[in-house]
Amino acid sequence: MTSAIVTSGLTKRYGRRTALRDCTLDIPAGHVVGLVGPNGAGKSTLLQLACGLLRPTEGTIEVLGGPPANGSARIGFVAQDTPVYAGLTIAEHLRLGAHLNPGWDKRLAEQRIDDLGLDPAQRAGKLSGGQRAQLALTMAMAKRPDLLLLDEPVAALDPLARREFLQGLMEFVAEHGVSAVMSSHLVADLERVCDYLVVLAASRVRVTGDVEELLATHHRLTGARRDPDTLGPGHEVVYASHTDVQSTLLVRSSAPIDDPSWATDRLDLEELVLAYMTEAGGAGRKRSLETQR
Amino acid sequence: MIWLTWRQFRTQAWVAAAALVVVAGALAATAPGLSDLYDRSGLAACTTGCADLAGNFRAEVARTVAGPLYTGATALMFLLPAVVGVFWGAPLVARELEAGTHRLVWSQTVTRGRWIAVKLAGVGLAAVLLAGLISLAVTWWSGPIDEASEGRITPLLFAARGIVPLGYAAFAFLAGVLVGLLTRRTVLAMAITLLLVALVQIAMPMFVRPALSSPVHSTTAFVPDSIRELGIHNDETISVFMRPPVEGAWTVSNRTITSSGAEFTGPVDLTKCGPDAGGGPRACEKWLGTLGLRQDISYVPADRFWTLQWRELGVFTGITALLSLFCVWWIRRRVA
Repeated sequence: MTSAIVTSGLTKRYGRRTALRDCTLDIPAGHVVGLVGPNGAGKSTLLQLACGLLRPTEGTIEVLGGPPANGSARIGFVAQDTPVYAGLTIAEHLRLGAHLNPGWDKRLAEQRIDDLGLDPAQRAGKLSGGQRAQLALTMAMAKRPDLLLLDEPVAALDPLARREFLQGLMEFVAEHGVSAVMSSHLVADLERVCDYLVVLAASRVRVTGDVEELLATHHRLTGARRDPDTLGPGHEVVYASHTDVQSTLLVRSSAPIDDPSWATDRLDLEELVLAYMTEAGGAGRKRSLETQR
Repeated sequence: MIWLTWRQFRTQAWVAAAALVVVAGALAATAPGLSDLYDRSGLAACTTGCADLAGNFRAEVARTVAGPLYTGATALMFLLPAVVGVFWGAPLVARELEAGTHRLVWSQTVTRGRWIAVKLAGVGLAAVLLAGLISLAVTWWSGPIDEASEGRITPLLFAARGIVPLGYAAFAFLAGVLVGLLTRRTVLAMAITLLLVALVQIAMPMFVRPALSSPVHSTTAFVPDSIRELGIHNDETISVFMRPPVEGAWTVSNRTITSSGAEFTGPVDLTKCGPDAGGGPRACEKWLGTLGLRQDISYVPADRFWTLQWRELGVFTGITALLSLFCVWWIRRRVA
């Protein structure tokens, strides 16, 4: 399988602030990839590097086998806050898309606007947040890209608009077989649609992998208090917490846990992500993530 | 891209077209009356010593609607670059950056270079066209009055006539775009652009135009008859300003100097000049005549008007081209 995005040592600094540090990734094509992390973790930076809006300070990035470039016909990008031209109507946005994209799918665009029940004569500035996001998504889709990049597209939407947006995205991805990378600070949004996960925290990549595989290899171990190092090879402790008598470990293991003194639980995706983010930034980060839910 | 540029610009374009129609209409409606006044003034047949005829004609004009219209049209020519820079230039990119819509449009299959090039060319040419049409109308209409005035090569008229308004408009537009690009704030960019255009309009006649026009420099003997203004101060100094030797010229510098070449400032002989002197102004002028003073003057003759217009237009064309290249480079390299 080819890769959608490959990065190596990718670093982006704004002046003295490092937004993304030494990021090495290989995201395979044909997935819906969730890019998750707290605010300021570098999600937007990574996506903007991938669509060519930003240039890396260090390292390399390849998108669909080539260097990323603004104005590429193969990448559809929905920017954060889903910007649209407030003074232009929906129909004019579609016209804009038709003028500026040789591969524009007029039928798809009009069909989607129609399905959403939007009035083409309406000015984009008068749309609700959800409608605006849908318009931005429609423009990215009708370009008929091979890779869709979405930067927190649902962050500002209410639950219903959120579901409709994600549903539309899923249908498009399934029908046209494109890859998609969507960022969010909410695991719940990604859980619904993503089959591949990248966790970013504090400007670094914490874990990447197929969702199923991640869930299958991560366990919570509970047992009498002891040193985590006694687990043996093949087990990587992601997160450990101890009380006076008890230890709780989150472990990534390729081998089965056969020590009967541990009680073993499966994790859900949210616990898994939180464990990696907690490891990255201490308990403060965990709290900030939870308050955003 | 051309469609999008037009769609985003069309409101401003219609406003400009409407303004153009109003200005052209007002000028066309008053042109026949002005032409009549000019014919009756006898200025057309006058070759020398026409100052009185010109004065009469100007007084006649001032009594009609053409008087305020003349002032207004000239003021409009000076305001036009600022208007173009503030309302067309500054928001062009700043508004996109502020609203984040640059991320939408750059995600279409269009390069940033092409995006900015089409916008700069489209709106920039519209600015030049507007300035050209208004200047054509104003220059044609005010021709008779300009002839009877101090001369259109003087700073009060030069940048409001002929072809330099095209250069000012193009420069102001590009300056606005660039300021917007660098500040990324529409309102701030508009304010800075206004200031910048005004500064350039002041700096141009003060510093740049004299260098472009290679003024004629002449030193002539002092003639009491050509004194234009005489100032006697309490500290026994005196300042003498003399009339330039040619009419309709732009006087760049005008000094009265002593035989040693230093500027003449006195000391004044209070028995000959000043309020307590008995002989009146005649005696004072006569006394000045005995001092061996000379008039040292730099001026640009009226017949260099078009040469200077082309040179100044050239300067602005060059600056505008540089600003355009910088804009394109900055957008392609630096903006995210």
